[in-house]
Amino acid sequence: MDHIAELAGKDPLSRRYFMEMTAKLTLGLSVGVPFLPRTFQAQSGAKAKNLIYIYLAGGMTHLDTFDPKKNRDVMADTDMIDTNVDNMKFGMHLKELSKQADKLAVINSMTSTNGAHEQGEYIMRTGYEKRATIVHPTIGPWAQTLLGKRGDILPDSVLIGQSTSNAGFMDPSFSPLPIADPSGGVPNTTLIVEGERFDRRMEMAQKLGQQFADKFKYTGPKSYVEYYTQANRLLKSDALTAFDISNESNRGDYGENRLGQGCLLARKLVESGVRVVEVVSGGWDMHLDVSGGTASRLPELDVAVATLLKDLESRGLLESTIVAIGTEFGRTPDINMNAGRDHYPAAYSCVLAGGGIKGGTVYGETDGGGKKVKANPVKPEDFLATIGYGLGLNMEETVYSPTQRPFTFADKGKPVTDLFA
Amino acid sequence: MNPRISLFSLGALLAVAGSCFLPFAEARTWTSTDGKPLQAIFLGIEGESLKFRLQNGNEIVVPKDRFIKADQEAAERLAKIGDDSFTKASARQIDTMLAGNLKKNGFNSFNEPLPDDLFVRRVYLDILGRIPTREEFLAFAENARPDKREALIDELLLSPGFSSNMFNYFADMYRLHGSDFDNGVRMDPYIQWWKDQLEANRPYHEIVTDMLTAQGNVGQNPASGFLLRDTGMEFDAFANFGQVMLGIDISCAQCHDHPFDEWTQGDFYEMAAFFGNTQRSLGYRPASAMMGAASVEMPNAPAGWRDNFMKWAETTKGIVPRDQNSNQFRFFVAALGWNITDNETLETVLPHDFIGQGGKPNEVAQPRTLIGDAAKLGGKTRRQAIADWLTAPANPRFSLVIANRMWGRAFGRAIVEPVNDLSEDELKRASQPEVLRYLESEMRRVNYDLREFMRILYNTRAYQSIATFEEPDLTKPYYFAGPVLRRMRAEQAWDSMMLLAHGVEIDKKTGGDGSFYKKILNIDFTTASNDDVWRHYEMWQSLRGGQSAMAMASESGDDYSPVLVNDTELRASELPQPAPAASMLDTFGQSDRRITDDHNYDGSVPQVLALMNGTVTQQLTGISSKIVADLEALDGPDDKVRGVFFTLLNRFPTKDELDLGTGMIEDFGDEGISDLAWALMNGPEFLFIQ
Repeated sequence: MDHIAELAGKDPLSRRYFMEMTAKLTLGLSVGVPFLPRTFQAQSGAKAKNLIYIYLAGGMTHLDTFDPKKNRDVMADTDMIDTNVDNMKFGMHLKELSKQADKLAVINSMTSTNGAHEQGEYIMRTGYEKRATIVHPTIGPWAQTLLGKRGDILPDSVLIGQSTSNAGFMDPSFSPLPIADPSGGVPNTTLIVEGERFDRRMEMAQKLGQQFADKFKYTGPKSYVEYYTQANRLLKSDALTAFDISNESNRGDYGENRLGQGCLLARKLVESGVRVVEVVSGGWDMHLDVSGGTASRLPELDVAVATLLKDLESRGLLESTIVAIGTEFGRTPDINMNAGRDHYPAAYSCVLAGGGIKGGTVYGETDGGGKKVKANPVKPEDFLATIGYGLGLNMEETVYSPTQRPFTFADKGKPVTDLFA
Repeated sequence: MNPRISLFSLGALLAVAGSCFLPFAEARTWTSTDGKPLQAIFLGIEGESLKFRLQNGNEIVVPKDRFIKADQEAAERLAKIGDDSFTKASARQIDTMLAGNLKKNGFNSFNEPLPDDLFVRRVYLDILGRIPTREEFLAFAENARPDKREALIDELLLSPGFSSNMFNYFADMYRLHGSDFDNGVRMDPYIQWWKDQLEANRPYHEIVTDMLTAQGNVGQNPASGFLLRDTGMEFDAFANFGQVMLGIDISCAQCHDHPFDEWTQGDFYEMAAFFGNTQRSLGYRPASAMMGAASVEMPNAPAGWRDNFMKWAETTKGIVPRDQNSNQFRFFVAALGWNITDNETLETVLPHDFIGQGGKPNEVAQPRTLIGDAAKLGGKTRRQAIADWLTAPANPRFSLVIANRMWGRAFGRAIVEPVNDLSEDELKRASQPEVLRYLESEMRRVNYDLREFMRILYNTRAYQSIATFEEPDLTKPYYFAGPVLRRMRAEQAWDSMMLLAHGVEIDKKTGGDGSFYKKILNIDFTTASNDDVWRHYEMWQSLRGGQSAMAMASESGDDYSPVLVNDTELRASELPQPAPAASMLDTFGQSDRRITDDHNYDGSVPQVLALMNGTVTQQLTGISSKIVADLEALDGPDDKVRGVFFTLLNRFPTKDELDLGTGMIEDFGDEGISDLAWALMNGPEFLFIQ
């Protein structure tokens, strides 16, 4: 076996050598990245350590959820219900959340200029307008850059509901780990061959990969070398159990759907030490038959988030975890010819809870038709800045892209500090 | 011409372009059996003779057997794909322009010429969409003919893999989706139609015109799928039209004046008005049209057919109106009516909260093009008018967009990026306007023959150069000293794995052809009885749920049941479009087809876990895999190691790699081969096109 060791530039291969190598990998000592983890003093007052960001892709209707109106013309089939907070009213499908409104801060004055899904979702998840020349990072890679990597093995951030992710202009190793199906956990984690034979294969592959990455100075090959290191580290740890929700006793409480199971997995991950979890749920683009759409999707959202809040609370995690609900825009107050609602970025609603957020709060206001923001407008970058404030991210800190363009978290958005207790 | 929009300063720029070179200089020299040369443009095979045009314009016919064997074979190839004098002359012209620009900007010249081994791998991946087999690789390496590169390019351009690979590109660009609709409406025939167009190498402007002007449902006229794709989202459909066909992203002008370009909100609706009287579905009014009456009659059916049929179903078949269990039936009738018609009473109206320039809220928007010469209605339907305007020579944007895209496919980076938003700013800043101009004119000269256009690019010295070793900065001009390093598309990675598992047979294996859904929708309402239509409903029901809801079903002669291909070991183009979430294709970044050009090339931990431990890797690198079995015939560890490298990376191993590999085989036998194969798949050189 000398040839392998030779290739690796080491003494003859031994079990001990591999243990050393594994130790290095798991301790993160061998990872050379341009964005070295740095630790900053968290901003004073920040209570939150974790974030669960539930993103409703497609544009959640604001009138049928958190900003219902007395005006029947704009409400179509949705009735208004009371909550456990006097001046807070919800749409009738949010039955469970209405019992926990005292935990929620509802922002009814969200406003954006992006009427297309892609651009709208982009700014709601990165804090930046979509540009053709650069990709901006989402909150997870930002938090890892500004606060430093938290754990040795578990990723700092996880993206549930999508099968690919990236770290924008930041180092690819900061990419959230994507989990397409929350019930499936991390797929392909059973080794084909075990022990020394696996190590032998892996070492050879990594050697070849490094050669290739040295030859072509591109982000692509370099990122794959890094992903192999991360995967290897993950496989050799017991951290994978954090991704397995099959034995969670309250699985049913969250709802047997992707959004519900995604929220359950998010709770388990945060409990295990992951800092930022995004749960992306599709199907909120209700151009046709908005009554049918809300009747099928809102109960899922209602049950999932209500259960998540209770679960976090009972585990003592709610005070340290921000739960956010975001979406790219609202939907037209006018019902269209197809009984649906179209895109409406001028006014929409987002929600925050936990992590030092003052519950029972309604921030901002739209007019009687839900058309125009009347007071305290909050732009997408302000919403992200508010989350950043809660997490104690230093929003003055400039981070440079590899092309030396300067960026700060949430693009100079203004945090809504009134929302914090 | 609208003076406000200077976008087509580009028009003036392009007007001077033309094919002002003499292709004859690039005409092939043919050699007779007695060694005499003949420089001539090949016109075709006539019986047992070859026909040529000489430089003086005369045409001659020469018996085939007067030429050496290599030239006889070249004649066979060129007869299928066309003489290459123009192709080569055009490639040289591009090279000359690029070389000049490289020099002007401080670069010596192109990167080193691509060696044969890297050339084979690259052209197989770029043209066929998969790596070559070891046999294909060796056949090229052992071929000593001077014209072997152009011959291989032609051979690959003529094989079925070419259209399969093209399909993956267009499926991403046009967001082809098999069943994107909750109510059971499918797009199978439209997807198959795209494959047929690409296989026939139909001129691109004709494909586009068919889609823009289509009438009927996807059964009767599959090209209608383009407009039906966005039923309920007409303005998104229009924005997509702008992005893919005009290379302009005008989506933000839907709600306000464009922040960067000169588009106003009014411009958006005026141009969208070309689709303003397009009715996409029975009784269903486009979001754009607030005026006019939507038709509720089934097209080409007797008056009242739909109501009568619904009533018949209620009394005879127990269909209860508004009952949940009858949803499927209502979806079926609705699907029959997902049908593109021009309804002259519909109009696009400016939104009630219109805030832009050039109109007032609730005003009818008159169709008006914003760039180039005005589109003329003159008795044509609005959609015919916009299609004619789009593809007219006076509108170079259309040919420029597709030429720039095809360049991007070959070089891994387009001349102007992003390809779906060539804003005026970007065009002004284009680093090589004369190359862009030339490509645009070439696209028109070849009459939108994409195969011929790609043939030109693959024959350039620029393309046949080593990939640039340093990643070019996206914000700076790139002068194309060679292609850039690219990760394989998800489909290329998948198709290569399928090749490794099954061999070249994979090129010929097809999935369903969508004919079953076509049959469901093809009903002659003037002759069909209610019972006949009910049979079609039963066919519709057989496509619900499970495997049948994913795959493209084919029809089976007179039978009313579908033929479903259960095989998932097919090339990506033959699998459901797109492949399901969390599948290998999805994991490697295949677009989910929601937005245009959405393929993702990033790596991820789940990707590498799939390559390390996934079932495909087990199948490919196990002791009993095809890779290991195929090497059994080879003698000695050296040859076996080379064999593994030829099979997976299509290159010779370095000395270090050879030593390493032979050591492993000596120590571990077949297990060593299996380990080596695993390591090469997990390199990750395997995933890249250099």
